[in-house]
Amino acid sequence: MKMGHAAAAIIALASSAAVLTLTLVFAVTGGEAPQLAGAMTSGSVAASGSVNVVTTILLDFRSLDTLGEASVIFASVACVGVLFRGSRRIGTEPGLGVLVRRSVGYLSALFLLFPLYIVAHGHLSPGGGFQGGVSLAVLLILLTVAYGSRPMATAVDPSRLHMTESLSALGFLMAGFVGVLQGTSFLANAAAGFPRGVPGSLLSGGLIPVLNAIIGVKVASGLGSIFFDFQSERGE
Amino acid sequence: MGLEVVFLGLLVLIVVSALGAVLVRGYITSVVVLSVFSVLTTVSFAFMHAVDVAMAEAAIGAGLMTAIFVTAIDRIRGQR
Repeated sequence: MKMGHAAAAIIALASSAAVLTLTLVFAVTGGEAPQLAGAMTSGSVAASGSVNVVTTILLDFRSLDTLGEASVIFASVACVGVLFRGSRRIGTEPGLGVLVRRSVGYLSALFLLFPLYIVAHGHLSPGGGFQGGVSLAVLLILLTVAYGSRPMATAVDPSRLHMTESLSALGFLMAGFVGVLQGTSFLANAAAGFPRGVPGSLLSGGLIPVLNAIIGVKVASGLGSIFFDFQSERGE
Repeated sequence: MGLEVVFLGLLVLIVVSALGAVLVRGYITSVVVLSVFSVLTTVSFAFMHAVDVAMAEAAIGAGLMTAIFVTAIDRIRGQR
């Protein structure tokens, strides 16, 4: 083993040991955080009308942080787009045999229902816009591998995906500015007059299902366009 | 008690698969071992009742990341 490799291994081991020790120390001694955690978990249904506490924290209490995460995806999609600029957006994946194509075709209907369900029930059950959007992007990849790049590129225009992603990012911001126009904070949910609904029903949670749908479209189109960019060829 | 032993074994398997992804020969094999690592991490998240995180890890780690890594490796080979 080279000298540099040994040094890197020692640094990695030392830092992971330090992180592990610190985590254990904090877990044993505890901090001030449990008070805040208790307030967030006990008051979440009353605050937003969504039964899923995780979604309430992500899209109501801490929706500005979610906007930050969404902008990280936006930045990475934009960077990949810049790296592959000037290349033809259509890959040369030939696709698989007729047996695989037919079975993937039949499966894709079920596969499409799964992300739609995950996104629509994000405020009721585990999951949400991010998980559903990633599943939708995986469906795009599965269809590309099975049917080949060229039929996929005619069905889903890869350059349209970039535009869809940018538009849904804009939609997230617009949904946030409703709260500002109502005189409360940015990305406010119940305070901005969005109806809470009956907790546990499909139409509840105010702004949360809307944000889930927007994030689902954004993540699916963003991650799908990253894959299509990686597949594309240098133009001649 | 029995469940904790299973969880401990799972954690050991996660470390083994992470080491395997680094040490194994060949890029594609390494990516496949990395997706095994992701699946094991998903199971451990589900064990800890963090189903939201488990779903994200399953879709990103096992599905999307493998596809993007394989495509990237394919492109690098094509340019040589």
